[in-house]
Amino acid sequence: MTPKVCLVMREFSSFNRAWTQILRNLGIDYTLCIATAGSTSATIQTPQGVFAAGSADLRGYFRQFDAVILCDHSLNLNDTARINYSVFWLSWNAPEDPAFLFFNPHFSTAITESAYNSNFPSDFPIVRPDPSDIAGTLEAADGGSATNGDPLIQTQTRARGACVLFLAENILAHVQTICNAHINNTPYYWRLNTAKHSTLASATYTHRVARNGRAGEILAVPAPPTSSEDTETYPSDCVVAYRYRNCFWLPHALARSPFSVNLWDVAVQPFVFWLLYGLQLAGVRPRYKLPVQVETDHPLQATGTGAPFNHAITTQMGILEASWDYMRDFARRKNTAIVNGLVVGTKYRSTSTTYHWHLLYSTSRTQAERDAAMRVHQILLAGHREGSTPCGVHDHTIGSGSGYWSAAVSANFVRHSGMRYGAPNNVPIARGRCCVAPHVLPAGVAGADAQTVQVGDTELVEWDIPTSGTGNTFDLPMDNIHAARIIIESEIEEMLALGFGDGYCAGHKYTNTAANNSGGECYWQALKEFGFRGVRSASACNTNLNTKRIAPNRFWHGFHLIGDMALDIYGAGIASFSWGLYHPSAPDGGDAVRYYQLDHSSDISSGWTTNPELAWRAYRRVLCQATGRWLAMTAVTLGAAYFHPIHCLMPASPSRVLDRFDGWNILNAANQPHYNHAVELLENMDAVVRLLPDVLYWGTITDVMDHRERVMG
Amino acid sequence: MPVRFLKNASELADVSWETPLPVQVANAKPVPADTLLVATTTVTADANRDLLGSTSTELPTLDGCMQYRKLVWFYFRAGADSTTYRILARATDHNGAPLGAGWQEIVPATTLPGAANSWNRIEIPATTDGYYDQYRIEVQRTAGSNYPLTSKIVGVR
Repeated sequence: MTPKVCLVMREFSSFNRAWTQILRNLGIDYTLCIATAGSTSATIQTPQGVFAAGSADLRGYFRQFDAVILCDHSLNLNDTARINYSVFWLSWNAPEDPAFLFFNPHFSTAITESAYNSNFPSDFPIVRPDPSDIAGTLEAADGGSATNGDPLIQTQTRARGACVLFLAENILAHVQTICNAHINNTPYYWRLNTAKHSTLASATYTHRVARNGRAGEILAVPAPPTSSEDTETYPSDCVVAYRYRNCFWLPHALARSPFSVNLWDVAVQPFVFWLLYGLQLAGVRPRYKLPVQVETDHPLQATGTGAPFNHAITTQMGILEASWDYMRDFARRKNTAIVNGLVVGTKYRSTSTTYHWHLLYSTSRTQAERDAAMRVHQILLAGHREGSTPCGVHDHTIGSGSGYWSAAVSANFVRHSGMRYGAPNNVPIARGRCCVAPHVLPAGVAGADAQTVQVGDTELVEWDIPTSGTGNTFDLPMDNIHAARIIIESEIEEMLALGFGDGYCAGHKYTNTAANNSGGECYWQALKEFGFRGVRSASACNTNLNTKRIAPNRFWHGFHLIGDMALDIYGAGIASFSWGLYHPSAPDGGDAVRYYQLDHSSDISSGWTTNPELAWRAYRRVLCQATGRWLAMTAVTLGAAYFHPIHCLMPASPSRVLDRFDGWNILNAANQPHYNHAVELLENMDAVVRLLPDVLYWGTITDVMDHRERVMG
Repeated sequence: MPVRFLKNASELADVSWETPLPVQVANAKPVPADTLLVATTTVTADANRDLLGSTSTELPTLDGCMQYRKLVWFYFRAGADSTTYRILARATDHNGAPLGAGWQEIVPATTLPGAANSWNRIEIPATTDGYYDQYRIEVQRTAGSNYPLTSKIVGVR
């Protein structure tokens, strides 16, 4: 049976293209229908004709679909019409009717249209929001503070999330959740008319989406606190998701904004969980599940030993060791692979003792430090061999420090020894004279050093090529395939010297590039020559030089250029590492709350030291934001999310590294709440994956690339 | 006299039901156009801001376009606010490196056609052929308020 849904929307100027992109990625067929107005008198333009919103013809048309999805919502509870036309569908409850998915629906009492109010089901159990009595009809969510801006269109920052209890599944998960919002920029949950719900919950009802065979079902509520510190509680009549017969009342899913989905214009859709959950509830079984995977950059590194944690290097290594042991085990249990971009180039080109090679081997490090680092390294190595933590090259020692082609010239470049491009071999290092049509090249023009070079479709003959000589140090122009080959071979040589069998994450033939710079065509070609299938890449793929863009579709001659999404909890360039969920003295952007702009109306910072509840608020918001970003990358752009362990894990308590967050009951070295980003993030995403077995599975970057080829055609 | 043809480079075959004359099927070539970009840009008063929102002047909006004779830029502008566009282009070598710094300006700052909520189409270049490797397409609002501009750019071989 081919999954098929109908999307009903009002106008393309505010239609978020992520709706259709997600459906395409899932292999769900869809039809777009246009409502001609927001009122009950609207007609619905379908490919099979124009039907009145309440007509039998439309009802019959809808019956071919697994689900009908309402795409519009309102920020203004005073609006008198937005999706009024859909009121008739609340009564289309026969077994033959499809499921109706309402996300953040506008059904406030400000709607005065009599046709709406007279057709609104009298037994509908969710209290209609009243803009003149918000406190009596809605429950202010997430602390009740106002967002700095429209909470419904936030993307990478300013999350409004919740720890949600999914009742049927009995699973707790942190997901971005706004049931309704208003022009005061405050998010709300719904209130239930418990008497009506009680009636519905005891009434038998037959429809394929009624899992419990009842007419009404509470699907999800704000989870009760798990700690006495957390006093943010909600009354028993508060709900965030409800099934009324075959109609699902669900929180906000996608913003009303003409976001495109392209190599650049991919605004993060952090509420996407609810669309995926709604599809599953409606029984829309996708052709394809989406692979969930995560990556790290710099899996073994040291950072500053200063405030606020003052961790010694051995302490840092201890936190990494415990965390990597956990992550490796997690990957094994879940059958995923945590891909890691391992900083290389430092064996030859950097003497910084913070990096992987020197942590293991530099005599500037104490024996205890080297031993501690080696324990982390051995976990990574074992994980690479077994497939749980595969590692690939990630080189910050070239160009401007930002990886491939990040500068015109990599000054004082130091290459490796041996292999094909290492010292003392005299190898090309820059472009020579060339002829791209060898069949018209007159005899005798090309010199004795002539060689055939291929980049993409272009095969040419090059000669008079500047070469390296026998030395190992020279200025290396970065804009050519010869440089790319030398650089990549030197990186692989270092990986081999570190004990890894390869430089491309073993069978995945992939790596996450330094600074997300994949360079350009010459690097993509060289990477292919060394066996890579793809790399992670930003759209502007050679910052700081900034002369290149990646190929359309992020696909170049069969080579994948995977999109990037950072899940870090600090701003690189602002702080050397994260100061934790929140720290009163952190630099702006130096902790998770500041980095993700989660201090709504100062409702975290204003009472941090006196109100223990605020740590839980910060925890919820951070986890919701990071999970939302990760999920959006998974579902919309088929990209790769990543974080930097060394920079994100220092807020963990050195003596209780793997403990779950427990507010002020477990403190870190700065006497602030302990928080392990790796543990929390993976556990929360695992809860999401367990909630969505029809849609998600723990996979690998290989699965992501396979899926891109499958759905991108 | 049967019609004969060379089959498998060495075998001479008569035309028959079993061995039809090999012909190239006409009218079955793929559409010689590729979608290169779909983007929604907030048109601001920033100078040198391209369709991807970048003000880094050396950064192309589109790369790897050498195979395209022409680009066709379809756009839907939500606002009528006075706006200019400018199109820059340049070639790269086989490594993908621009032949030099800067750009060839193939369309100087020109009023962006169209009213609010209007569809429009611009060919790049307007005359002659393109075959440039990189293009940079900049839009700048010169009066009024910011508005979204949704673009689709198709490369035509």
